[in-house]
Amino acid sequence: MAVIGIESSAHTLGVGIADKGKVLANEKMMYDVGTTGIIPAKAAEQHIENIGSVIGAALSKAGMDKSGITGIGYTKGPGLGPCLRVGQLAAKTLSMELKVPIVPVNHAIGHIEVARHVSGAKDPIVLYVSGGNSQILGIINEPFRHYHVFGETFDIGVGNMLDSFARAAKLNPAWGSSVAKLAEGGKYIQMPYTVKGMDFTFTGLLTNAVKMLEANDPRDVAYSMQETAFAMLCEAIERAMLLTKKREVLLSGGVAQSKRLKEMLEIMTATHNGAVYAAPNEFNADNGAMIAIVAEKMLDTGMQKKPEDCDINQKYRADAAEIRW
Amino acid sequence: MEKISEGAEAEIYDAKVLGRSAILKYRIEKGYRTRPLDYRIRSERTKSEAKIMARASARGAMVPKVLLIDGYGIYIEKLDGAMLNAMMDRFEKQKEKMRKILEEAGKQLGMLHNADIVHGDYTPANILVTPEGVVYVIDFGLAEITNSVEEKALDLLLMKRSISKTLYPIFEDSYRKSHGDSKSVLLKLGDIERRGRYQTRTLITG
Ligand SMILES: Nc1ncnc2c1ncn2[C@@H]1O[C@H](COP(=O)(O)OP(=O)(O)O)[C@@H](O)[C@H]1O
Ligand SMILES: [Mg+2]
Repeated sequence: MAVIGIESSAHTLGVGIADKGKVLANEKMMYDVGTTGIIPAKAAEQHIENIGSVIGAALSKAGMDKSGITGIGYTKGPGLGPCLRVGQLAAKTLSMELKVPIVPVNHAIGHIEVARHVSGAKDPIVLYVSGGNSQILGIINEPFRHYHVFGETFDIGVGNMLDSFARAAKLNPAWGSSVAKLAEGGKYIQMPYTVKGMDFTFTGLLTNAVKMLEANDPRDVAYSMQETAFAMLCEAIERAMLLTKKREVLLSGGVAQSKRLKEMLEIMTATHNGAVYAAPNEFNADNGAMIAIVAEKMLDTGMQKKPEDCDINQKYRADAAEIRW
Repeated sequence: MEKISEGAEAEIYDAKVLGRSAILKYRIEKGYRTRPLDYRIRSERTKSEAKIMARASARGAMVPKVLLIDGYGIYIEKLDGAMLNAMMDRFEKQKEKMRKILEEAGKQLGMLHNADIVHGDYTPANILVTPEGVVYVIDFGLAEITNSVEEKALDLLLMKRSISKTLYPIFEDSYRKSHGDSKSVLLKLGDIERRGRYQTRTLITG
């Protein structure tokens, strides 16, 4: 009994294997985004080249061969079309070859559910913060059991904001940790702060921060942008907590790796007798194990799909995915 | 001072200003924000809330009087009455009374929108009804001055999602009569409801 999960929605090609909720393998290979950012066709090409060996690595890590696979999951979306296609085709091929059931998985649900699974949170309000997306969600049962979106970004994800700023400030590209490092010891400068109820926007803040780089100490700009963005997220999720009366805050997605964001959430939840839950970083960065974990839950609850219905959807929303478990 | 209520941003206390009974709405410190950002947000919002309430009053909307602004606190005239959300559960049977209240709530929103005030949280939890049946609008904590038709439509949408299907048309009819550009706002409301984002996203209110 082992379910294999393939994640290929962006620059990471990940393959994970799960058995009864236990992660047996979580292997990956990353496309180097360089200073240009991701070029979807190039990334897809590389994924095609590597997928055989990453699957092989995962199987040997789990100490099994292909014949031990009893189910398959792949990322249906959201993500980049050419990249998603690689995982989809590999998954369908494996399913036909091994005659095992297959199921499409939502990428955001992958991050959220693996975090809920490993952190032990029961019924959390979720802050999902990745490159392309930033949302506040919680499970509701109507009209079907799913993650309802209480609030979200009106424009870009907070991860993309950090990445774009890092490029403008000529830092190591691709990751918010370089912004966090630059922010150390910075001083606060006033920046646009926009929260509307439980929704927020980041482009105004980004544009302003990039412009401020011209005449200010980059450390102050990085500090102020990061503090402002994270404070906006904290305010929105605090409102969602009080509205839903949920006391667990689950932090997931790439930006969940930020120590400062986690610290701010801890201060906020403590004032409401709540607590912050998160998964280890290997599950916050894109990975295959999260797809395997969710695929197993989906297969266990009868959600398998016919191979001909296994499509991709670049804009697949988290709130369109049914949560049966 | 006795605390009457506690929201995400502010605490409400029983207070007195020059012998008049009042409530103090005090914006609390948020430890997660860097200090200068915390001070800035609290003072800007306190001033903005008071300013918008004064504007609403001046344009004839039923809003309690602002008595004093002090740092992060606003002292507001204390009204005697009950919040509409609490009344709705208790007075389900009193149809005529509810009809009058919802007519008035629709009319009040129309007047606010005439003054380009978008409330931002227009739900029964922010509508106060006195024992005489006078309807007041409270809590301008998320309000904004804007002529955006979309923002106005979102005020209506929030109310639509917060009250029953039988009560909402009463509210909307009365809004239509009181707001000068209700046609555009109601068209926009239709657009928003058809648009994906708000279709999958049911608004939940509290
Ligand atoms: N002018 C007032 N008179 C009497 N009670 C009030 C008044 N304003 C607010 N309240 C009470 O305080 C509660 C919260 O006030 P509100 O302004 O809505 O703050 P919040 O932002 O916390 O929702 C209201 O639901 C009501 O019970
Ligand atoms: Mg209120």
